[in-house]
Amino acid sequence: MARRLPTLFACCMSAAGIFIAGLTLLVTPANAAGALNVGVQLEPPNLDPTSGAAAAIDEIVYANIFEGLTRITEDGAVAPALATDWTISADGRIYEFRLRRDIHFHDGAAFDADDVVFTFDRARSPTSTNAQRPIFEQIEMVTAVDPFTVRITLKAPLGAFPIYLGWGDAVIVGRTSAATNASHPVGTGPFKFQRWRKGASITLTHNDAYWGKRPPLDQINFIFIPDPTAAFAALMAGDVDGFPNYPAAENLALIERDQQFQIVFGTGEGEMLVAINNAKPPFDDIRVRRALNHAIDKQAMIDAGLFGYGTPLGSHFSPHHPAYIDLANRYAYDPPKARRLLAEAGFADGFSLTLTLPPPAYARRGGEIIAAQLEAVGVEVSIRNLEWAQWLEQVFSNKSYDLTIVSHTEPLDIDIYARDDYYFQYKNENFNRIISTLREASDAAQRNHLYGEAQHMLADDAVNVWIASSPKIAVWSSDVSGVWADAPLQANDFTRADITNRAPVLAANGAKPAFPVYAIWLIAAALGAAMIYFSQASFTFLLSRLAGMAATLAAASVVIFLLIEVAPGDPAAFMMGLNADPASIAALKAELGLDKPALARYFIWIGGLASGDFGVSYTYRVPVADLIAERFWVSLPLALLAFLISTVIGIPAGVMAAAQRGRARGRAIITAAQAGVAVPNFWLAILLVLIFAVGIRWFSAGGFPGWEAGLLPGLKALFLPAIALALPQAAILTQIMRTSMLDVMDNDYIRTARAKGLSQAQVLRRHALRNALIPVLTILGLQFGFLLAGSIIVENVFYLPGLGRLVFQSIVQRDLIVVKSIVIVLVFIVILTAFFIDLAYGVVDPRLRRRGAS
Amino acid sequence: MTGAVFTTKQRKHTRDPGFLAGAAITLTFIALAFASLFWTPYDVAALDIGAQFSAPSSSHWFGTNHLGRDVLSMIMVGAQTSIAVAFLAVGIGLVIGVPLGLCAAAFGGFVDEALMRMGDLIFAFPAIILAILITAIFGATATNAIVAIGVFNIPVFARLTRGAAMPLWTAGYVLAARTAGKNHFAISVEHIFPNLAHLLIVQATIQFSLAILAEAGLAYVGLGAQPPTPSWGRMLAESQTMVSFAPWLVLFPGLAIFAFVLGLNWLGDGLRHRLDPRRERGL
Repeated sequence: MARRLPTLFACCMSAAGIFIAGLTLLVTPANAAGALNVGVQLEPPNLDPTSGAAAAIDEIVYANIFEGLTRITEDGAVAPALATDWTISADGRIYEFRLRRDIHFHDGAAFDADDVVFTFDRARSPTSTNAQRPIFEQIEMVTAVDPFTVRITLKAPLGAFPIYLGWGDAVIVGRTSAATNASHPVGTGPFKFQRWRKGASITLTHNDAYWGKRPPLDQINFIFIPDPTAAFAALMAGDVDGFPNYPAAENLALIERDQQFQIVFGTGEGEMLVAINNAKPPFDDIRVRRALNHAIDKQAMIDAGLFGYGTPLGSHFSPHHPAYIDLANRYAYDPPKARRLLAEAGFADGFSLTLTLPPPAYARRGGEIIAAQLEAVGVEVSIRNLEWAQWLEQVFSNKSYDLTIVSHTEPLDIDIYARDDYYFQYKNENFNRIISTLREASDAAQRNHLYGEAQHMLADDAVNVWIASSPKIAVWSSDVSGVWADAPLQANDFTRADITNRAPVLAANGAKPAFPVYAIWLIAAALGAAMIYFSQASFTFLLSRLAGMAATLAAASVVIFLLIEVAPGDPAAFMMGLNADPASIAALKAELGLDKPALARYFIWIGGLASGDFGVSYTYRVPVADLIAERFWVSLPLALLAFLISTVIGIPAGVMAAAQRGRARGRAIITAAQAGVAVPNFWLAILLVLIFAVGIRWFSAGGFPGWEAGLLPGLKALFLPAIALALPQAAILTQIMRTSMLDVMDNDYIRTARAKGLSQAQVLRRHALRNALIPVLTILGLQFGFLLAGSIIVENVFYLPGLGRLVFQSIVQRDLIVVKSIVIVLVFIVILTAFFIDLAYGVVDPRLRRRGAS
Repeated sequence: MTGAVFTTKQRKHTRDPGFLAGAAITLTFIALAFASLFWTPYDVAALDIGAQFSAPSSSHWFGTNHLGRDVLSMIMVGAQTSIAVAFLAVGIGLVIGVPLGLCAAAFGGFVDEALMRMGDLIFAFPAIILAILITAIFGATATNAIVAIGVFNIPVFARLTRGAAMPLWTAGYVLAARTAGKNHFAISVEHIFPNLAHLLIVQATIQFSLAILAEAGLAYVGLGAQPPTPSWGRMLAESQTMVSFAPWLVLFPGLAIFAFVLGLNWLGDGLRHRLDPRRERGL
């Protein structure tokens, strides 16, 4: 009889208990000082603003960590920063900057003219990965006149040079620290980098040695919340103090009524437009482009796509700029006229086109409206949704698209229409002349006049359908002050931000959390050894199973590698962003080793796996193994918790249902289990958030504070996700447990036991349960693998920084090396679990021991 | 002190409410999907921005969404997507898995071993992650969702077929057919397959309900059918942000998935009672 089963079960449960108890030792008390929790939509790929174009980098580091010679102020003006003042030669080519003295980088290195020379030489070098390299290539020479004077000679006059120097791409980096800025940025700003929890948050703390006025805040936590729903939920649950760019405009009316929040509308630089591939027939016909302009109702787009928050546009220019000309009514919404223009162009019966959409909500929502409006004038639209990486490759780089919807957020970027080979494929020599005159013009009136001409010309040519300028909508807790309303740059300058009701500062451990990794391995190894011993499995059995495991792993690695190989989307192009220069992309590709042949990369990967080196993440530039380990500490406890809940509910419910067969209670359990199996876990998750986080606010709506915030906050954050994961699994377990019990209860020995005078409860406990648990073991094993890997969707609802989210993010960001490694690790865990289950059969059922084959 | 534990005789079921309810629900959804090919209360493509976020009423039974589209109409058309994806995904599993299982049982030995190990390989992948990988790599379309879900159905049917076919090969009538000189192929088609068709029908119903859930999950993360094709999972994803002021947008599509899957499971259980009495378990 299987006497060891309860013992084994107890072992598993106590191992889980020990693990959770072990985490309590890591509780670090939080101290009380001022921290601001800021929600941001996108996690930056790295933190070096001089080697990547992603706006998400500047949103964290600009003005907070890094400073340039000049800086852009809230009203868009240029102000001195690391340079106190500067002079310009008469011909506009030579700039001389006087530098501020007694400034130190966060690592203690002193700042002087050599750092400036180093920074700009690095930015304009042939191997530079700076996204604005073309601007720095305008520099002919940079020299240090003395330790605190720098002279920059340009190849040609550049009117906006001091503005460019205030951009994130031009911040000054330290000679000694530049190489590691991607993962550990070191600047001169008022805040120092403290910690980056990948997929979750970045923490900055104030810099005691800052040269300027001390910032009011002690700490800033940037918390990544990509999903609009999660953003709303996090705000309501108090997980964040606000969002500089609030992504869910649809809830603003609701937030407005709430006294605890303030909504700050600022001018944004975003121009949302329907881009047209001007070179591709039939869009090379201006009548077709004008017809498209007449066919689209901008106000409907603003109402439904932007929920009313937007100003209609008629050209590529931001309404808050003095040079802005209102051309929104240049092409009035007039479907009959659109049909006439199409007929003139030879499309009386319409034609069909593809509308390609990137992921943001404005594009996806807007796409459906555009499609419906174009169909109303006889144009058949098929929609294609792409991830950013695919969009960048197919639309931005390869120009294989008809129409797309995107928001251009760079300030004063009308000059992109003069670029050769830009994805609009617009070619107009007259326009290019205006832009080149503009480049050298320094007189404000003349510049504004030229900007006006440029706007008119684009509108006349109907290059694109400009929809709206969307405001920068910030939502802050009402006790937050000193934040920027307008966004002349894509940055969040928190130098003067303050909060009266301060959140506690998180414990200052810059190092990785010291988790008892070895304890887990010890428990696993001890369990494994015990099982091998108790199962008395034969040597050949063990050997054949191990060989089988190895073969499956090898086969799986080939499948994964091949799948990833054929994946479209160039990781390097994705990392460099929208305005990247092709040479910079090639440089990055070589740096990542992506230029090697496929076979070589497979063996490098496999060789690395065998030696525990998983490679370096393309996106985060940290070892993949660290990344996975970090996420493991969210996914594993979540899976264990869900496993525990599902087992604690499922097994007793199944036994009860079997014992009460044919009676009301038994039927009720079966009905509940049938319902549980049919509930999609993500729907359950949304409902749980709605009830327990937004409604009665017992739990936070998502996010993970980290185990160092304490055991209870950690478990609390995992509780709702664990319930959402566990209930459908518990329902499955109940059904299987019941069936198994009924099978056992039909056996003669049960009848014998009952006949010899044992009570029904005794029979159930001593005889039926033990035997019935055997087939259930298989399901438990399968469930654990499922819970660990399959929580991806639920992790998304709660924006937990677990393995599931990591794999999803990595696919989206084309961080393929991470994808490969996670999938193989998960496959390994599934195989290992199956192996343990095989052994466990031997432990619980002596009849199954000493199996030779199969 | 009841005899429940000791009941060895199966109780007779003259009426099976679960089966009837399951069949009714399943037929209702199929009928809705079929009807939506010809008629829906409102055009699901048309915009009516003026009517956005209408609460459920007599003119819009399930309310409208942010584009003013009728939720009931979208659920009806969404049923088409769900059913088509699930049907084809299960079809892939049956069409490829059953012959493989029959081969494994007929030839045994190396063929059996190789086929079953291939099945193990697919089972070793966490299903949802491989599905996401496939759709993310080859593009988010309904077709790729079908393939991603279908791949996992192949080993399910292959194993079921093999397991059920193995003992049949020792049955008297099969031995008789062999002595009559019939080859493995003919025996598999004429004698083995008809004897396990009932098992396949039951399993197919269950896989169908799992495929409905999987399709909804993929669509929820944006990897299913693309707009403007309505899909239940995507309706949930799109309206999540609006749940606090328009809860009907999340409630009804979720209920549709739940009801359909529940109905299919009831139907599957009922079919098992009827077609596979040996595995039947009384309520």
